[in-house]
Amino acid sequence: MAELEQEIKAMVSKIIKIDESKIDPDANIFSEYGIDSLLGVEILAGLDKKYGIDVPEQKVREIKTLNDIVKLARELISKKA
Amino acid sequence: MSEDTSAYWRKLLRVDEPAPEGFLKEFRSPLEMFRPLFFAIINLLCRSYFRVKVAGLENIPKTPPYIIAPNHSSALDQTMVSYAIGRERREQLYTLAVKHFYDRPVARIFMKIAANVMRIDSEKDFFPALQAAVKVLKLGGSIYINPEGTRSQSGELLPFRVGVGMLAVETEVPIVPVYIEGTFKSMPPGKYFPKPGKITVNFGKPIYMDEYIKRKQTEMAYDVYKAVTDELFKRVSSMKIGKKDI
Repeated sequence: MAELEQEIKAMVSKIIKIDESKIDPDANIFSEYGIDSLLGVEILAGLDKKYGIDVPEQKVREIKTLNDIVKLARELISKKA
Repeated sequence: MSEDTSAYWRKLLRVDEPAPEGFLKEFRSPLEMFRPLFFAIINLLCRSYFRVKVAGLENIPKTPPYIIAPNHSSALDQTMVSYAIGRERREQLYTLAVKHFYDRPVARIFMKIAANVMRIDSEKDFFPALQAAVKVLKLGGSIYINPEGTRSQSGELLPFRVGVGMLAVETEVPIVPVYIEGTFKSMPPGKYFPKPGKITVNFGKPIYMDEYIKRKQTEMAYDVYKAVTDELFKRVSSMKIGKKDI
């Protein structure tokens, strides 16, 4: 599971264009790093593509931190399995 | 490796779903019967009271679909663009109106007389309105959208929101940049009666999506939408400072 966390961290870092080492897993990525909500949708699009999981768009309101994204990915991957 | 994430966005926008026949009727209103009278009055006002000058009409594609994307600093803006484009284009145009304006009963009556209006919640959930806009474009209508998302309180351009780029790229429809000058001076936010003055509505050359559609194969969809939005901002800004159309 640490591997999944690392993969997602790398993906989010690439999407929001902030170095992995500078992303606090508990920080609100929207307010802390000033990213817009559509970039949040791009993160969901990235999960959808990378893991072949169906991510409902409403989930964008539930993801605030990197940890939220990892939790959501775990949930959806386990549902798929 | 392909970075293309647009399949997800297309699903969100329901781009690949058929647009039901008769869908456009949802945004038409019986109040339209007053539109010819409304614009007869507006025509008179635009020629005398406002001294409206229109430039670049030839830049609007001959037939829809296209997206009209002007700056926004006054409640007069949509009416000035509607006046400028003339009756035929006006009837094919569907305007995304922000909910805090649309939800005011008197404003809604005026809007429905003046335009075919669609309600958008630009703060919380704008996807239903964008899904509807996709259908309008697929059915051959045109869309009027304020890329700033709201009226500028200072008259200066606000940052543009990426939704306009997303809509254009995924529907493969050109965007016509527009700069409206003089409406802020005449009737800024908070004022309800316009002052006389000179108003200019300037239509720029359309931004076509071919290049951006290609870029989606190698770039993240969001980055492509942002690139379109940045280009639009650049064009509208250049019209503002009186530079020649680029």
